[in-house]
Amino acid sequence: MRLHHIVAKDSLARKRRMLFAAFGIVIGIMTVVGILTVARSGRAQLYEQLERYGPNLTILPAVSSLDVRMGSLSLGQLGVGENYIAQDKVPVIREITDRLIRTSLDIRVPGPIATVAPELYATTQVKGANVMVVGMDGEAQRAIKSWWIVKEGAYPAGNDALVGHTAASLLGLKVGDEVVIGKQVTMVSGVLDETGSVDDSQIFLPLTVVQDAVGKSGLISAVNVRALCTACPVSVIADEINQTLTGVRAVAVKQVAETEMGMLSRINTFLLAIAGITLLVGLFGVVNTMMAAVNERVRDIGILRAVGASRNQILKMFVYEAVAIGIAGGLAGYLSGTLLAFVIGPLIFKGAPIGFVPSYIGVSLLLSIVVAILASIYPAYRATKIKVADSLRSL
Amino acid sequence: MSPMLEVKNITKQYGEGEARVMALNGVSLVAEKGDFIAIMGPSGCGKSTLLNVIGGLERLTGGEVVLEGQRIDTLDEDAFVGARRGKIAYVFQQFHLLASLTALENVMLPLVLAGTKSDHQREALAILSKVGLEKRARHRPAQLSGGEQQRVAIARALVNNPSLLLADEPTGNMDQKTSNEILEMFSRLNREGQTIMMVTHDPVIARFADRVVNLKDGQVVNGSN
Repeated sequence: MRLHHIVAKDSLARKRRMLFAAFGIVIGIMTVVGILTVARSGRAQLYEQLERYGPNLTILPAVSSLDVRMGSLSLGQLGVGENYIAQDKVPVIREITDRLIRTSLDIRVPGPIATVAPELYATTQVKGANVMVVGMDGEAQRAIKSWWIVKEGAYPAGNDALVGHTAASLLGLKVGDEVVIGKQVTMVSGVLDETGSVDDSQIFLPLTVVQDAVGKSGLISAVNVRALCTACPVSVIADEINQTLTGVRAVAVKQVAETEMGMLSRINTFLLAIAGITLLVGLFGVVNTMMAAVNERVRDIGILRAVGASRNQILKMFVYEAVAIGIAGGLAGYLSGTLLAFVIGPLIFKGAPIGFVPSYIGVSLLLSIVVAILASIYPAYRATKIKVADSLRSL
Repeated sequence: MSPMLEVKNITKQYGEGEARVMALNGVSLVAEKGDFIAIMGPSGCGKSTLLNVIGGLERLTGGEVVLEGQRIDTLDEDAFVGARRGKIAYVFQQFHLLASLTALENVMLPLVLAGTKSDHQREALAILSKVGLEKRARHRPAQLSGGEQQRVAIARALVNNPSLLLADEPTGNMDQKTSNEILEMFSRLNREGQTIMMVTHDPVIARFADRVVNLKDGQVVNGSN
């Protein structure tokens, strides 16, 4: 029998109080682990989406005034007034991108590598409502927006139009309807399924049709570049485009994403602060329970002192108990936190896979043991101050 | 050679000013090895306080306590624990066993706390059989009778081979028959050389001792030897 056996036997005889003590810690750790797990899966999902979908690079006119967004990601601002990019810069962009990817990944096969998709934005009236019309290179656009699903009709060929989901329902556009832009009359060949992005409220037409209709021949509003590789030197490409071409600004989407991630991590910090407060409240709960434990055990402490326990040994016994509460609370907190993440994760990041994060077991244990020990310091100190004779005085 | 225990003119004061109570007011006594001393007196005379002060459960206000040549009243709490281990052991009226431990574990407790390298279980079992309880070793206090519990408490007190055994009304909670058994056990231990100091209010019980110190209002009134 050792000191910790005595503690274990006594604790087992007081299971309920031990459970109460651990409960405060469990709640705190549960919150921390839940938030960490959800945030982690959200971040993973965001990165995954960035890798799988959308351009790696967006090139905009250097002067800007209008928000351009990709999904929920802000890509910076774009001028729709007199601010355009000359279309003859597209081949230069393609050349720079392909050359840098070739060098970086040592590709010797000839032919284009990256997808370069120019866009021209304009507004037009359809059935009396203002709609944003996007002039596009149909093939390149389809390669970039690989998540597009044509719900009705077919992806447009020739001069036909593709209508976003919201635009179609608001304007009552169906396959075969006419869309007039300037003097150009085109026919709706397909309607997109909902994407959750600005694409839903736009109408897509061939670039030349929009250019002719609004009198912007040879001009475009933006260029999206998709390099289709995770190792592509996107920032390097952006830098070189910015240095070579005047009047344009190339933005690596990853940089934008990192800004978004910054936001995410600030929210994360805020949530963790809340979790910290929960843990602090839990700590005071444990202090309370441990104080009750000391009061409950005044007589036992007196007995132990009377049969030869030093104050140090009494202190140790409470620390042992705290560590036991910490381990139990940490494990239970980890499990319930992960379960919490399974429940709330899908509500925050739709479809983000939640999983057990084994490395959080260590974090949970460390945190809960530290909290339990902190919570036991004062009660344990009080225990050592108990006057032996008083504690043993007959009832 | 210095006596086993020397108590010199000790005082113990509770409270301050108007509420001041002198529980012990200049008590002196000497115990030699092998003594069986009964400290007697009515309740409130300070006899339990005297035992507590000797046993280190309470600090005294004035005077000296010298145990085997070492002055122990001036030691700080932690040094006192070390000085007392193996020298002074206590038997209480309420037994004061830990309810969550078995009889055997209760007896092992002083050995565990002292951190001796010996075989605690074997030693504790040997002492338990000395008080006739080896068959009840695995029982918890709640499963034992009062007399049995007190025998466990005595075993616990003896397990460290103390020079001095202090007993505060050890039979106070027992019927006549059980009380006599316990007192017979004290007598036997004393015949085997155990120094015992026992507090009681009962003259019949005090007769088991070979010397009686009468206390009244915190002072020794008979000074008998």
